[in-house]
Amino acid sequence: MKSNYYILIIEDEAPVRDAVLRDVEKFENYFPVEAVQSAEEAEELIAAIQNEGGKIALILCDHLLPVKNGVDFLIESMQFPITRHAKKVLVTGQAGHQDTINAVNNAGLDFYVSKPWKTEDFQQVVKKQLTDFVLKEPGLDPIPYMGILDGAKIMDHIRNSGLAADS
Amino acid sequence: MKNNRTILKKFEFIGLVIGLLGSAFFLTGPFDSLTVAGHISLAIFWLAAWFYISEPIPVYATSLLVMLLGALLLSKEGPIFINAKPDLYTLSTDSTGIGIVPNSALFNQNSILVYEKGNWRTEPVSISKSTDSESTISFTANTNVPIAANAYTLNSGYEPLSYKTIFGTLANPIIVLFLGGFMLARGAVKYKLDNALTAYLLRPFGKKPAFILFGLILVTAILSAFMSNTATTAMMMTVILPIIAAVPDNDKFKTAIVLSIPVAANIGGIATPIGTPPNAIVVAALAQHKISIPFSDWVIMALPFTLVLLFLAWFLLHTLFKTDLKELNLDVNAKFNKSPKAIFLYFVFGFTILLWFTENLHGIPSGMVAFVPITLLTFGTVLDKNDIHSLSWEVLWLVAGGMSLGMLLDKTGVAVWIIQAIDWSMFNIVIILLVFAVIGWILANFMSHTVTATLLMPLGVSLGVSANLGDSYNVVIATMVIGIATSISMILPISTPPNAIAVATNLVNTKDMAKIGLIIGLIGIPLMLTFAWFYWTLFY
Repeated sequence: MKSNYYILIIEDEAPVRDAVLRDVEKFENYFPVEAVQSAEEAEELIAAIQNEGGKIALILCDHLLPVKNGVDFLIESMQFPITRHAKKVLVTGQAGHQDTINAVNNAGLDFYVSKPWKTEDFQQVVKKQLTDFVLKEPGLDPIPYMGILDGAKIMDHIRNSGLAADS
Repeated sequence: MKNNRTILKKFEFIGLVIGLLGSAFFLTGPFDSLTVAGHISLAIFWLAAWFYISEPIPVYATSLLVMLLGALLLSKEGPIFINAKPDLYTLSTDSTGIGIVPNSALFNQNSILVYEKGNWRTEPVSISKSTDSESTISFTANTNVPIAANAYTLNSGYEPLSYKTIFGTLANPIIVLFLGGFMLARGAVKYKLDNALTAYLLRPFGKKPAFILFGLILVTAILSAFMSNTATTAMMMTVILPIIAAVPDNDKFKTAIVLSIPVAANIGGIATPIGTPPNAIVVAALAQHKISIPFSDWVIMALPFTLVLLFLAWFLLHTLFKTDLKELNLDVNAKFNKSPKAIFLYFVFGFTILLWFTENLHGIPSGMVAFVPITLLTFGTVLDKNDIHSLSWEVLWLVAGGMSLGMLLDKTGVAVWIIQAIDWSMFNIVIILLVFAVIGWILANFMSHTVTATLLMPLGVSLGVSANLGDSYNVVIATMVIGIATSISMILPISTPPNAIAVATNLVNTKDMAKIGLIIGLIGIPLMLTFAWFYWTLFY
């Protein structure tokens, strides 16, 4: 079930990018994955996805990138309609204290993953963030995502929000 | 998926076009056997049926459209009927019943429309002589009878309803009953009464997989008899997903457990009038025939069938998906919320159910009792404004619109007109009920259960009016059979929202769901008719 909701990875080091790609692979059937090497490429990609009518569900972003750094990119992403509500995760070893505070305060940073990580933990983070995304996204039926995301949480939301009606 | 979606869009479009074109055609008045109001009503029915089935707009929107069109086109306050007066001709007959009428008064060439005490009826006449302007007819009544001077003018054959009656379905007692049920269910979810009850009720079922499965089925069914099937399924999923994590990947018990929830929820909805919306359509159709079924009567009639069907479901799931597990730890530990608001909710819940079940003793109708939780739960914000906003109001609109449609089809004579297109006299009543049940069952597998019941019920009810069946026809049995048949439809993921949820877990495949759903339907329908014939008839 391919959707229009993308996972966007921004990482300039090839081995790390491959590791992230490998770890989000199991979500790819539901959330198409795009990986780029810099903030500038990411901006182009976001424009292209927006043109197609797609949206970004999750941004997994490194901090130390070639030109513009990751935190600045995340802050900037608050201005694009299709990334504003995306879940934002910094995947880095080198973001300093000030950068991180900046990301939390100004980019609504949702999670910080420090390198190196364990696949299992990383997938838990992705699962949680995507679950939160599908539950917040207006007009999106979260039920089809039960199997791949946190099913119990989705069900809890469904019954608490009064969406669970017979037809 | 994309492909699938374009096909759906295409079907929506086709439904929209056929619905609109057909209605427009019927508005031109093509049938001699139908009055003007009948044509309008048929046009609304046709449009509603195609809109309900193909869903170019949501089903509840179609229900609202039905009410709007009914009020505008068929109510006595609407622009069409507001100034329409019946154009009457007094038919005088001699002692042998012979009289003369203008040719324009002849309806369908063999009847006249008689207007008596504010009601219209169609009387067949035999014509002995005809000129260009008048016909000599023989008619059984003997004195002066007012009849329609022109059978095909607006008011002929139809005494317009008030728009208040058409919109009034929104506050019909059965809608209030459902609203009461929604308030209780909302309270149960908010104070986690459903979770706590589940944990409490599952405890005695121990650790054996077969018993656990039985427990899950029973608890799900009990809850879904009072809450919506979908809300129950959602809650039970939060209970079983952790249990399932402990089952080895290749063990089929996973399938059995995940399937047991929607199956039990669908079946459990049959047990009470508020269990699921098609039941409301049944109760409403009966109310139109001045029959009110007390809450407890419904339960006494429907519960044995429900239990047998649940047992069948358990047996099927347990034998078709055998497990190697000897033991399974049920780790469900939910405590009852003991805050004052929660305790107040338990009290209101218990009190309401007590009153519902004792209707035969105190005589207060269940719809009136339902106002107890509606009122009390708003005290002290046990349920606050947000809770009230989150009730499934659109389900109430869906049902109310369905009731209005049934009312229009009945009052304009269209339901009987459609039913009489087939000569039923050659069939036994049991065969007729079986046909209706099977059609309802098949349709409801592909579309909304409520909509299926809405579309079939007016036809099923008017079977009784079609004189051929006479005394063998029992309106209570007929409506219950049609309504409950839709609840047995659970073959496909799209058949019911609980099925959609179960498939979305990725833990069951559509094939297994279809297998169970098909067997339950094929056994359930004849079983229901058996109960109807030998057990339900004891009550009505």
